[in-house]
Amino acid sequence: MSAAIASTPDAAVRPEPGRPLIEVRDLVKHFGPVVALAGVSLTVRAGEVLCLLGDNGAGKSTLIKTLSGVHKPTSGDFLVEGRPVAFSTPRDALDAGIATVFQDLAMIPLMSITRNFFMGREPIRRVGPLSFMDMGFADRVAREEMKRIGIDIRDPRQAVGTLSGGERQCVAIARAVYFGAKVLILDEPTSALGVAQTSMVLKYVSQVRHRGLGVIFITHNVRHAYAVGNAFTVLNRGKTLGTYRKSEITIDALQNLMAGDKELQSLSDDLDGMV
Amino acid sequence: MLKSFVKLLSAAAVAVPVALGAASVAHAEGERFVFVSHAPDTDSWWNVIKNALKNAAADTKTSVEYRNPATGDIADMARIIEQAAATNPAGIITTIADFDVLQSAIEGAIAKGIPVVTVNSGTAEESKKLGAMMHIGQPEYDAGKGAGERAKAAGVTKFLCVNHYITNVASVERCRGYADALGVELGDQMIDSTQDPTQVYNKVKAYLTTHPDTNGILALGPNSAEPTIKLLRDTGETSKYNFITFDLSADISAGIKDGIVNAAIDQQPYLQGYLPVVFLTQYVRYGVMPANNVNTGPGFVTKDNISLVEKLAGEYR
Amino acid sequence: MADREAVLTAIRDERLKRQSTLRRLMAMPELGAIAGAILVFLFFGVTAGGTGMFAADGVLNWVTVAGQLTIIATGAALLMIGGEFDLSVGSMIGFAGMMIAIPTVYFGVPIELSVLFAFVGALAIGFLNGLIVVRTRLPSFIVTLASLYILRGMTIALSILFANRTIVSGVRNFADGTWVQALFAGKAFSGLFVWLAETGVIATLPNGDPAVKGIPAVVLWAAGLALIGHVVLSRTRLGNWIFASGGDANAARNVGVPVGRVKIGLFMTTAFCATVYATCQVMEFGSAAADRGLLKEFEAIIAAVIGGCLLTGGYGSVVGAVFGALIFGVVQMGILFTGAPNDWFLVFLGLMLLTAVLFNNVVRRRVTGER
Repeated sequence: MSAAIASTPDAAVRPEPGRPLIEVRDLVKHFGPVVALAGVSLTVRAGEVLCLLGDNGAGKSTLIKTLSGVHKPTSGDFLVEGRPVAFSTPRDALDAGIATVFQDLAMIPLMSITRNFFMGREPIRRVGPLSFMDMGFADRVAREEMKRIGIDIRDPRQAVGTLSGGERQCVAIARAVYFGAKVLILDEPTSALGVAQTSMVLKYVSQVRHRGLGVIFITHNVRHAYAVGNAFTVLNRGKTLGTYRKSEITIDALQNLMAGDKELQSLSDDLDGMV
Repeated sequence: MLKSFVKLLSAAAVAVPVALGAASVAHAEGERFVFVSHAPDTDSWWNVIKNALKNAAADTKTSVEYRNPATGDIADMARIIEQAAATNPAGIITTIADFDVLQSAIEGAIAKGIPVVTVNSGTAEESKKLGAMMHIGQPEYDAGKGAGERAKAAGVTKFLCVNHYITNVASVERCRGYADALGVELGDQMIDSTQDPTQVYNKVKAYLTTHPDTNGILALGPNSAEPTIKLLRDTGETSKYNFITFDLSADISAGIKDGIVNAAIDQQPYLQGYLPVVFLTQYVRYGVMPANNVNTGPGFVTKDNISLVEKLAGEYR
Repeated sequence: MADREAVLTAIRDERLKRQSTLRRLMAMPELGAIAGAILVFLFFGVTAGGTGMFAADGVLNWVTVAGQLTIIATGAALLMIGGEFDLSVGSMIGFAGMMIAIPTVYFGVPIELSVLFAFVGALAIGFLNGLIVVRTRLPSFIVTLASLYILRGMTIALSILFANRTIVSGVRNFADGTWVQALFAGKAFSGLFVWLAETGVIATLPNGDPAVKGIPAVVLWAAGLALIGHVVLSRTRLGNWIFASGGDANAARNVGVPVGRVKIGLFMTTAFCATVYATCQVMEFGSAAADRGLLKEFEAIIAAVIGGCLLTGGYGSVVGAVFGALIFGVVQMGILFTGAPNDWFLVFLGLMLLTAVLFNNVVRRRVTGER
């Protein structure tokens, strides 16, 4: 059963834990007169989850779009595994091992799990001059990869629309992992999910980390971040407020930092400590 | 799974005719004829023919089915003739809207031994070439020419041919006949008016405004004539043009009475529906058939004989 | 423990297998069309069984009509799955016919070259349609609606300009005996049909010919194109890209699917199919006319929709479109066989379309778990 898996890209050599995969220093991005990023620095290490926290408008989406090759930075250093890079398309970032799972645009609900899983990277079987998509292989891999995540997959040909939101996120992550991503950028993977679904995704993120990938986990939910994160970078108005190891900061301190201290503190008082 | 469906279907297709084939016995009376026209659903002129078919069926104690391609596509019409032939009717009545397209379908029906009478569009020569029994209609070019001769006598030099069915060869023949009678080139004096009354109205209006020396109008049927009559009423230019139209309708009759329309070419469509049914019935029952083609037109309806025609317009005339 | 795991899996799989068969059946886009086709055949088997509808020449009649429609429905279905529409299919049929007839009849171009010219011209127009849609991101509905008018208008204008009439006849004089005529309007397996007639399986004409002389080329073209379309869609990388482009163009682009190229290719495919349709017609009837193909774009879309294609793209099948075309052809001709007044044909057709769309909507919700 595992024979097919062994030969997949998944089994490619992973960097040893702790080694920096992405390093960003003083990244600046202007859109005309608008300053979206005003100097962001962060480091993503193999086998670690870096949580990127920040309120709406803090520059999270601009940052991930820059890292995933959608935008080009105005200035600053961007290194992947120690080498400076300049992506011009999302494809470049993918080729460099940076895979982004967007919240809404990860999966096509009407297509089958198999077709989604291999979308853009279909396995080919040649028959003379003709080349066909190897559906047998694709179905088998999709089914086995789903099993690995622990999703009870009924039929790899069923539409993704029949999966729950958490399952869809997991399939999207599994797809990125299978195709050899070294760094995963997860854009608010838990924001639209219920409690059970969220824990499923978080469990899987932690599983991916243990396999030696670096993960950037974008969220504005501190609890979710604290559950899986090794390090936390807080963004505010296009700048990094600082990066903290999990041992250096408590969940409450993180909460306050993210909300810009006072506001949330006063809100917390108003609501009698409910937040 | 799909395969089994296909199998099931083909099994059904084979089994059904076997089971029901025995039930179809030749009828001694109540022969079934199929009339195939080329007109789109929206062409009201064919109502007279439908009425004629109804009367003929009642009078001869036969049944007549009227068929036409919904959009007026002649290629679709060929399929309908083939379909009609497949039902083995006692006879087929069809127009020859396009000889090339309909040739193999009509010849196929004749090869099956089904008597065919052609009506309306097409010429006597084409009908003979196909092997049809006879042709009942109005020679289009000659009818146009007849209209043109009247117009020339009235002093027309420049004209407008309002063509609401430009994709039919016969329609262009009418305009050409008219132009030839005047002794002028057709050129851009024929416009594609479309069938929509508002468009006809505005296109004619635009043409007459930009071509002020026009003094004759030829409309090819109620679809193009009625909006044009309305236009002339609206602008008050009721006697500026020598206005001849093909066919009759209530509006056209009124136009003739009011002097807006000088003449309507009546091809007496009632006969084109009634006669072939009667002829075919006699042929099927007694083997008799007139030896000549029948020209149902052109007859001209003018102010002098309009009162006779008027109350039947659109129904039997 | 490992044993227990295996047993659990086995149980789970077994329990779910039954469910998945049903699900898979429900998930087949063509299911509605196949069920519909069976219903239609049963209906006409009862109402038109004795009319000659299921005799050899009757079958040939509706198979030909369904075959013609299959040709354009295949292209339309692929394009719809790819998330776009082509409303210019009907006009393209008329225009392609003229591209064959005018050079042949009025410029003395050999008919083989005229046919080649028509295909190249149509592919170029399809390319242009696709390019405009992809570049401007305007709805293809609007872009191809413009093409519908432009092409129909050019067909009328050019035929008047060169031929001074809207029907260009006499192509047969140039086409008779050429291989293109055999390819697009020949009859295959005529020996078989002669034999069938001799053995009495099918009827013979009074002159001794079989009632059906062979399978018309248009039907073989339909079968071939549908087969290729089906294989490409369901079994190739391009097929996956077509689903992805129509399902969510942005998501597809994010994983590197060349959405623009796929869509342009699909527009060229519909143009190609329309030209095959036109060529078969011109070769069979020997003429091209300005009103050929009127409203055929809607028939193609109807067939695709009955066949389970979603108007929003990303879902559907070629097999379904074939059954959609079959239903359409059988109903269109079957109503005539029953002898019912065909004034009601369009009403019936509209009701059928509505039923198909409602049915498909239910199916899609089941499949995707949407509420």
